[in-house]
Amino acid sequence: MIQTLANWILSFDILSGMGYPIAWGLSLFIVAALIFVFVALNALVLVYIERKVSAFMQVRLGPMRVGKFGLLQTVADALKLLQKEDIIPEKADKALFTIGPWTILVASVATFAAIPFSDTLLAADMNIGLFYVVSISSIVVLGIVMAGWASNNKWSLYGAMRSAAQIISYEIPVGITLISVVAVVGSLNLQTIIQAQGGAGNLFHWIPIPVPNWFIFHSPFLFMATFVYLIGGTAEINRTPFDIPESESELVAGFMTEFSGLRWALFFLSEYANATLVAFILTIIFLGGWQSPFVNYSSAQIALSIFSVIAVIWTVFVRMKSGRLSIYPLGLSILAAISAWLFPGFAVWLASPGIFWILAKVAGIIFLLMWFRWTFPRLRVDQLMYISWKVVLPLAILNLMGVAIWMWLTGEIQF
Amino acid sequence: MSRLHAEEMILNMGPQHPSTHGVLRLKLTTDGEIVSKIEPVIGYLHRSFEKHAENLQYQMVTPFTGRCDYLAAMGSEHGYAMAVEKMLDIELPERVEYLRVIFAELQRIASHLVAVGAFGLDVGAITPFIYCFRERELILDLFEMASGARLLYNYIWIGGLAHDIPPGFVEKTYEFLDAFDKRVAEYNQILTGNKIFIERTADIGVLPPEVAINYGVTGPCLRGSGVDLDIRKVQPYSIYDRFEFEVPLGEGAQGTVGDCWDRYYVRVREMEESAKIVRQALDQLPSDGDVQAALPKRIRPPKGEVYFRSENPRGELGYYIVSDGKNVPARMRMRSPAFCNLGVINEIGQGWMISDVIAILGSLDIVLGEIDR
Repeated sequence: MIQTLANWILSFDILSGMGYPIAWGLSLFIVAALIFVFVALNALVLVYIERKVSAFMQVRLGPMRVGKFGLLQTVADALKLLQKEDIIPEKADKALFTIGPWTILVASVATFAAIPFSDTLLAADMNIGLFYVVSISSIVVLGIVMAGWASNNKWSLYGAMRSAAQIISYEIPVGITLISVVAVVGSLNLQTIIQAQGGAGNLFHWIPIPVPNWFIFHSPFLFMATFVYLIGGTAEINRTPFDIPESESELVAGFMTEFSGLRWALFFLSEYANATLVAFILTIIFLGGWQSPFVNYSSAQIALSIFSVIAVIWTVFVRMKSGRLSIYPLGLSILAAISAWLFPGFAVWLASPGIFWILAKVAGIIFLLMWFRWTFPRLRVDQLMYISWKVVLPLAILNLMGVAIWMWLTGEIQF
Repeated sequence: MSRLHAEEMILNMGPQHPSTHGVLRLKLTTDGEIVSKIEPVIGYLHRSFEKHAENLQYQMVTPFTGRCDYLAAMGSEHGYAMAVEKMLDIELPERVEYLRVIFAELQRIASHLVAVGAFGLDVGAITPFIYCFRERELILDLFEMASGARLLYNYIWIGGLAHDIPPGFVEKTYEFLDAFDKRVAEYNQILTGNKIFIERTADIGVLPPEVAINYGVTGPCLRGSGVDLDIRKVQPYSIYDRFEFEVPLGEGAQGTVGDCWDRYYVRVREMEESAKIVRQALDQLPSDGDVQAALPKRIRPPKGEVYFRSENPRGELGYYIVSDGKNVPARMRMRSPAFCNLGVINEIGQGWMISDVIAILGSLDIVLGEIDR
């Protein structure tokens, strides 16, 4: 994208005099700024959505006062945080205390450089994209340990140590899970991985149910791997039920205890950036990235119709019984199905890959993460380790071996 | 192979900490995550209730009792009123007795709702807490209807009640009870049966019955260890002998008898039993009668002393009152259940992790207002 942008800048007569290196540097700066704006806006929106989702699950209204439906609440909160006094504790290690939050932010923003938003929209098309994403995103733990150690607070230290132990444990199963997909595609390039998931086929190669060629439906092993990654990813971004580094009821606020104002806001920003990142990786690796779930427009029409029939049955027979009838999902699905039949253009748009699909899938996964957070209690630190080393890791290795055998069985590879 | 030498670290948990349920300070001696010694430091909320009581007339003490266990003010007032009535030898009208039982049991539900919700919060589940407070709000609305206050009521007076219940109260209480039965199933769905919750609470902080008895632990904590002691049953006061209810005991359904899960689940089931009592009391409630008929004009108990115990949501709440014939008590002593329950934490919390200590403390369900008095 940087080269394209540089060439585009040079195509103007007035600007063509600056030469390619300057245009390239300028484009680099613009792209980096765009990514940062995306991360910041994303956090702003997600904080609002998280509050509304938690309110929805807890029979509350959530923010309602600032702006219509409290839409400006997070903006107001961000402004408040920026105004706050900058406090560095006297006994803190000042250098580390200052660098810590920025390290986390830089790591999480830098990771977005390799994330493809559509077939053309990505900052850097690297042939080692997946490797880059995994390695850069794990720098986050360095920042957390820096912040926790520099605070010179026992609670922060506990939080930092827990976080280090947790992320190191879960990097391994996550890495192995991602390798099992790399084994199928034969490439670390994220675009290649998404392109390999185009079209449709049978569920698990043999079961005659038409599904998109996403890797979650590739084999039972990759199906399991999806959930292994979901668990590992949730643990890596320190969200409930794995939020032990900042476990509010135990460690006050863990590694963030001594931080306030802008530095605390940076932690918050990167927390949501990381959550989005995990959702993006899960989408790209297992759920087809920017690929549409429909192969062509007629399959979009048929699939939506089937979906709305299921929604009607579910609403009438399941929701009516519990007495809590919500017509919005039902209405939306019927509306989508009818418009797909009435306007073929809509169905064609639905069936074409693009930024809408990747964002929709990411939104779904983020909602799932929020759902986890507002439902589950928190695990204890040793239980977390137990799950990582004795359950998730063996499962990940099993998946890797299983995928290899599966590919040999289905004839995808020959020896 | 010799053990790696690790230094112990003293960790101050509280008095400002999200999970110490008030201003309790725990001095933890920690070896990594393992806690080897717990030393509770109390007194941050000391308001010298007992000394105050020696300078106040008997009827003026009632509001102070509510401020001790502020989550169960009706229960504290009930206990105090009955203690003084025992000294004065007052016969109460039937309607007063029934209304007192209704309020005390509603208060027990409200108090246990806080305990259950806050326990969920302690192990990291936020949503059940909000669910519990949703129901507690309904009970507080009922209390507000009757007494005008939502937390500290001064409603149960010596020899009667401050007001009769307003019209519509009985219907609203029935409505609440009908809704509440369904809501308990909700708590069980989101918390009781949750795998992570069970992992975090079952087999944790096991309180053996002998230890519980030695430390004077009472209430749901004692019954969670399987000891069948409920003063409402073994020494029925007021009119508790007229109602049918069970005393839930810890059975070790998810682990060992007397673990955190048992203490939690005893509270959940006690809420259901209390709802049953309220329903029966509402059914039998006499429709007429002046609630202030037996109100004494002048409270001067004869010389002597009395110890009266009642079953508060947290355990055995005892009032020891010495009278020298004046209109102020010569000595007032309150046996607060949470104080005795907290004493056991070093015994059962040693060797567990920091997270477990939080869970154990939450399962003991302390109220600092009552511990420090």
